[in-house]
Amino acid sequence: MKVLTLLCTACFAASALGQDAVRPLVGNHCIECHDAGTAKGKLNLEEVLAEDVAKHSAIWEQVVRRMATRQMPPASRKERPAEAEYEAAVAALAGRLDADAVDHPQPGRTETLRRLNRAEYQNAVRDLLAVDVDAAALLPPDEASHGFDNMSVGTLPPTLLDRYITAAQKISRLAVGAAQRVPGGETIRIKPDITQQERVEGLPFGTRGGAAVPFTFPQDGEYEVQIRLTRDRNDVVEGLHGPHDVLVLLDRAQVKSFTVRPPGDKGHDLVDAHLKFRLPVKAGRRELGVTFLQDSASLLEDKRQPYEARFNFHRHPRTAPALYQVSITGPFSATGPGDTPSRRRIFTAQPHPPQDEMACAQKILAPLLRRAWRRPVTDADVGRLLPLFEDGRKDGGFDAGIESALSAVLVSREFLFRVEPQPADATPGSVYRVGDVALASRLSFFLWSSIPDEELLALAGRGELAQPAVLEAQARRMLADPRARQSLVANFAGQWLHLRNLDGITPDGRLFPDFDDNLRQAMRRETELHVEEILRNDGSVLALLKSDHTFLNERLAKHYGIPHIYGERFRRVALGPETQRGGLLRHASVLMATSYATRTSPVVRGKWILENLIGTPPQPPAPDVPALDESLVSEKLPLRERLAAHRNKAACASCHEFIDPPGFALEHFDAVGRWRSLEAGLPVDASGGLPDGSLFTGADGLEAGMLQRPEIFATAFAEKLLAYALGRAIGPQDAPAVRQIVRRAKAQDFRFSEFVTSLVTSVPFTMRQAL
Amino acid sequence: MSTFTTRTALPRRTFLRGLGCTLALPLLDAMVPALAAEAGTAAKPVRRLGYLFMPMGADMTLWTPRGGDKLDELPFILESLAPVRDCVSIVSNLEIRNAYPGTHATSNASFLSCARAKHTESTDYFLGTTVDQMAAQQIGRETQLPSLELAMDMMQTVGQCDNGYACVYQNNLSWSSPTTPLPAEAHPRIIFETLFGEGGSRAQRQAALRKRSSLLDFVKDDISRLERELGGADRERVGHYLDSVRDVERRIQKAEQSMEENSLPDLDRPTGVPASYAEHARLMFELQLLAMQGDITRVFTFQLARETSNRTYPEAGVSDPHHPLSHHGNDPEKIERMAKINRFHVSLFAEFLQKLRATPEAGGTLLDSSLFLYGSGMGNPNVHDHMNLPIIVAGGAAGGMKGGRHIRCEQPTPLANLHLTLLDKAGVRLDKFQDSTGKVDGLFEPLGI
Repeated sequence: MKVLTLLCTACFAASALGQDAVRPLVGNHCIECHDAGTAKGKLNLEEVLAEDVAKHSAIWEQVVRRMATRQMPPASRKERPAEAEYEAAVAALAGRLDADAVDHPQPGRTETLRRLNRAEYQNAVRDLLAVDVDAAALLPPDEASHGFDNMSVGTLPPTLLDRYITAAQKISRLAVGAAQRVPGGETIRIKPDITQQERVEGLPFGTRGGAAVPFTFPQDGEYEVQIRLTRDRNDVVEGLHGPHDVLVLLDRAQVKSFTVRPPGDKGHDLVDAHLKFRLPVKAGRRELGVTFLQDSASLLEDKRQPYEARFNFHRHPRTAPALYQVSITGPFSATGPGDTPSRRRIFTAQPHPPQDEMACAQKILAPLLRRAWRRPVTDADVGRLLPLFEDGRKDGGFDAGIESALSAVLVSREFLFRVEPQPADATPGSVYRVGDVALASRLSFFLWSSIPDEELLALAGRGELAQPAVLEAQARRMLADPRARQSLVANFAGQWLHLRNLDGITPDGRLFPDFDDNLRQAMRRETELHVEEILRNDGSVLALLKSDHTFLNERLAKHYGIPHIYGERFRRVALGPETQRGGLLRHASVLMATSYATRTSPVVRGKWILENLIGTPPQPPAPDVPALDESLVSEKLPLRERLAAHRNKAACASCHEFIDPPGFALEHFDAVGRWRSLEAGLPVDASGGLPDGSLFTGADGLEAGMLQRPEIFATAFAEKLLAYALGRAIGPQDAPAVRQIVRRAKAQDFRFSEFVTSLVTSVPFTMRQAL
Repeated sequence: MSTFTTRTALPRRTFLRGLGCTLALPLLDAMVPALAAEAGTAAKPVRRLGYLFMPMGADMTLWTPRGGDKLDELPFILESLAPVRDCVSIVSNLEIRNAYPGTHATSNASFLSCARAKHTESTDYFLGTTVDQMAAQQIGRETQLPSLELAMDMMQTVGQCDNGYACVYQNNLSWSSPTTPLPAEAHPRIIFETLFGEGGSRAQRQAALRKRSSLLDFVKDDISRLERELGGADRERVGHYLDSVRDVERRIQKAEQSMEENSLPDLDRPTGVPASYAEHARLMFELQLLAMQGDITRVFTFQLARETSNRTYPEAGVSDPHHPLSHHGNDPEKIERMAKINRFHVSLFAEFLQKLRATPEAGGTLLDSSLFLYGSGMGNPNVHDHMNLPIIVAGGAAGGMKGGRHIRCEQPTPLANLHLTLLDKAGVRLDKFQDSTGKVDGLFEPLGI
């Protein structure tokens, strides 16, 4: 009977006060703990129950979240609402909150001034000047907050400004191909824990190890290449037991070969001293390959070794020499700036007669400035660059003038910052539609991590971009561009799924002797390719959770115990259930990123799942919660029993009863993501659960449990995507927009593009609150 | 009077107990009446500190000076120090207890940290903040770089290096926190660019600064316009940006000014790595000298070679690799060859000191206002011990350095005591550093009170 009443009230909830639908459920199930007196978790529902739901939306959004994920009332309570009761209450509450959001949109406020982060800076330079730079080498790292590095970008400390100036000078010089006073150079070091026994992707078959190094040669001229081989701690060149051929390739064509030989009874000091030569190179981006000729003798020797990893002479010595570093120095006897993509992009006009240099400079700079500043520019705007052009021209001619003006463009605020000032007439607290020009940047930085292209700028210039149909069409067009996949995989998925953390993780060498950087990179690649496939095919994001195939190369396949996969190349591999693979939760990348160096951590894994896949991040332990007394919990006990001590303490239990069970379900995967049936000699106990109270065993159960209510995962995904798109933390006021996105996506089988198109037309993306 | 200092001067007697090294009576900073320092009668902090590490100890019979307290007769290894004798003192009988059980990894790691390295070969390594970094926090704040870390080995090893210790311990002398090793650079071009950017002649460097300065003017104007366009809190933020602009402006002005004051020669960027060790090492010393001259940084660490290095030194007439020689098994021939390597390393240091003494700066020479600690974290490498370490202190008049002496500690004394003494000279006031039990007395002139 009660259920029936609830269902009925749900029908008109959107227009009614809302609390009518909720009051019985709250009264029966919630108020005991969340009354004014107890107010568990500092939540007091008693005082808001009498008023309109919309008046206390932040509180009721919390209630919606906890009830939608069935976390409240907690599973430990004997009496919980029936499923239909839950659904009705959530629908009623959310309906009322959504209706109010339509009447009173709350778009939140993105920062007025947001600096480009390193990835955006690098992409913007690429799209503006057709020159590839490594922003990580030019600028300090960005701080991340709320999981992404495009949020804490409001400040401009002096050191950063200093680096921006240096970077602008370097980039503009490289882009115009200016002459250098003395030869410059770069030294590229290979990570020391890379095994170099196999062919490296991008280098020819029949080669082994080494690296393919992309390098922008600043001018036509001669360059010196010097190669050094890896030495062990005793300064002995590793793996040099016989002669080996070293090959040097420029854009995949062999330009030089050397032979290195063991030095006999002499020291190894000079073994690689002769690996040095000069060659003429045309300006521009080229790939320098340095590698070894594969020889069958060492191949055989290799197969006898117990481990794949080969980089440290104590545990797993190299059996063949490896590349340590490549130095490129030059140009010597430079013959000119050459014909490079960046020069073709920049010098769209040439001054003749020379008298009209100024006019020509204006002609060159105006379109560049428009792209750099992402808006229509005036003659006055271009005019501000001309004194710098003149300065440079006086010293070094027309090209130097352009170089000087370009460096000013690269340090200008409208290039370095995304500025979204509010309309002058906006009253504080009011909301307004973001202008077309700002929308163009919002779109391009979201989907490309870069500046808008001509089409976006043109639409914005004509004032057409804000139309929802145009926005959607543009989003679809941009998603089809490879830049979208590249940046969403690297910057969104890389941070959302913690893939970026992998580089900082090295499992304990004694326990996991077969770990090397090759494996680390392969782990990351699997997840990246999995995400990329969904983007490319516009598949359902639920395929992230469960998949009948994955992407493997030989190294990772061996790690997973999957046979018949050979070579460094990644390929799509169909999986049977016996492989225990497919789906994020079985990716070694995720499993390692959520483990300690020596062991798995169900707590870290559980927290990762709650935070990133379920969308209910656990609160950090309150300051008055005592730490677990380690001395009372024997080291000898299995991990599960040690953690049980957590849940015997009331202060710990209230959170850990949610956190630990999903993590326990993954206990069949060890700290580097390998499958195991035994842990410390005992059969693995992978019984786990979800915060909704469901209980199951293993990853299968966890996946099934999460797919039972796919909106939960879709909501978590949409929130992460929205946070990334806006560059700000998501709050309760964004919940109606998130629900709208999820509703639309659900109607289209959770296709990725539906998330994106409904996101870019949502209130928080297209509107802003005035201050 | 700007500040009131209420510290009471301690009687010297308080400190006479328990200190091993006895040349002069200890005279510590705390004994200087509080106001004396401000009156300028007492010690002036030294301007810069350098730490030089040589690997795998030395043969102490050919290292330790004979005779009395004066450095009259220099032993085989130290002979090259003769021309700078008055600026160096040898300190004997120092030890690092925290380096035990004796290994190459801990010899390197404990030299400047005096801390016990956590025994691990994984990434959970833990050591201690090193003295150079403590000094950098004090005297490195004013310069372009707080400190400079240099090495001679163009290599980087990972995983396990020595007796189950992670390679970071053996590779990195300098640690800015117990978990943050600071990798040293060995490539002269990379160091040069860190210090001087493009370099060039004075005119060229001035032109480069002018360019930066005009770009900064553009930024300033550009951001000021923004200030007019925005309101409220956003305008406040723009105010912070402008503060940053002014800060960078000051840096450029400082660089321009220091270019006026310092007689840095034309700076030509080195392109490659010299093939011979001696040439490479001299270039590295030259870069340090230039960094001092230009006041780019005031704290230096330089690892002359890594522990377990198997480098050969044909320049010194030694064609055997160093590490096996260091396990000489008391074979006199091997000892002699090892000593030649020690002697060669010291001779490069002696050359450097001479150059510093020949380079004038305001009020004296570069050496006058510098202090150097040269030595090893190992004593007798044949048995991997960490006692009776080979240690030289070198420095000039500004810090009150009393050179030309051999200071013998009666009892084995922590190297940390010497670190504490040198830090004190750089104005870093610590009561204790790791296992220190006091300071090393007699290194410096008593202060006039």
